[in-house]
Amino acid sequence: MPERDMWTVRLSEFADGELPDDERVRLEAHLAGCAQCRQTLDELISVRDLAGALRERQPDRDLWPGIAARIGAPSPAVLPLRRRWSFTLPQLAAAALLLVAVGATGTVMLTSHEASGPTGATIAAQPAAAPSAVPAAFAANVAYDDAVRQLNAILVQHRGSLDSATVRVLEESLATIDRAIARARAALATDPTDPYLNAHLAETMRQKVTLMRRAAALVAAS
Amino acid sequence: MDESPPAVDRSVPLVPADAADVALAQSGDHQAFERLYRANVGRVHALVWRMAGPERIDELTQDVFVRAWEKLGSFRGEASFSTWLHRVAVNLLLSRRVARRREQARRDEHDGVLDTEASRPRRPELVLDLETAIGRLPDGAKQVFVLHDVEGYRHQEIAEQMGIAVGTSKAQLHRARMLLRGHLEPNAKGM
Repeated sequence: MPERDMWTVRLSEFADGELPDDERVRLEAHLAGCAQCRQTLDELISVRDLAGALRERQPDRDLWPGIAARIGAPSPAVLPLRRRWSFTLPQLAAAALLLVAVGATGTVMLTSHEASGPTGATIAAQPAAAPSAVPAAFAANVAYDDAVRQLNAILVQHRGSLDSATVRVLEESLATIDRAIARARAALATDPTDPYLNAHLAETMRQKVTLMRRAAALVAAS
Repeated sequence: MDESPPAVDRSVPLVPADAADVALAQSGDHQAFERLYRANVGRVHALVWRMAGPERIDELTQDVFVRAWEKLGSFRGEASFSTWLHRVAVNLLLSRRVARRREQARRDEHDGVLDTEASRPRRPELVLDLETAIGRLPDGAKQVFVLHDVEGYRHQEIAEQMGIAVGTSKAQLHRARMLLRGHLEPNAKGM
């Protein structure tokens, strides 16, 4: 194989910095005396750089309706809770116990005597930490808090349909999760950009919403 | 209350900025998933276009998001949601390579793939914009090129995802670049 051809096939690796040192040195020596290989190398780098600069392409039409239909998204008039979750009491209890076992810490929950709203809510999950402790990603996204409020309202409304054992398990679970949220938020107050704390908070919030949705679906179906 | 940071395993990686919507979507919230769709559809759509061509782009893009919805429970935040979604898309697209190859072969009969010769086009009408030129690459070279040069994957990752050797991935990338360099606008070179 001619020397030029031998090196041409390695030019992409050279451009990407992936050649072993000894080959890189030899190729650099070849490039010093081969204008054609230098030109090819420049062109390969141009192609690579152009590709890296390609942009997103938005679809010409809204594809969401087709996706929504396929994933069973309800029409706006229908509560989303009724479709996805249909847990039995034992399932809910198991899920709650699992969350407790995961182990966190917290403050809030299902209090049957401390009403938090005009309806005399008995299920009142409230974050213990100051709002300023919440990372920007969450502070800007009110969806989580809205979801918790809505689910809380559902649980308050239907609390009487749950037996006392389930209520107790749910209370303990939410308390555990809320303690974890509170501690994560408190920690984030001193280190708002800490990636672990943000991940921990996000995961804990996800657990809480999941549990509340399951509970809400349960009472709504009962 | 104990104000000290929780003593926990710090092996958990970065949290995405859209974590709240991910959490809501994982718990069955379609509206949250729609927000995730709207935030990510441009990137997914572009990936589908470049890897699979324009014929079924909308359908495949929708397939990606449906698959993502089905697999949301497996997302644990090891990477950002966008990165996870991107991998869902790549896996789906690669899993349909066989069908796509057949389509590609039919297209090639009509449109012509890029010359396998690593040289400049001899006729001006063969000069293409990069997007069009990518679309006319041979299938394997196209997928490797898109994943590596457009999407930033490493050869090891590409090899694992495509079930090929690392050396094959490197060879396909070089082949793609060599084909593309001869079919770009002259003013696109020498950036």
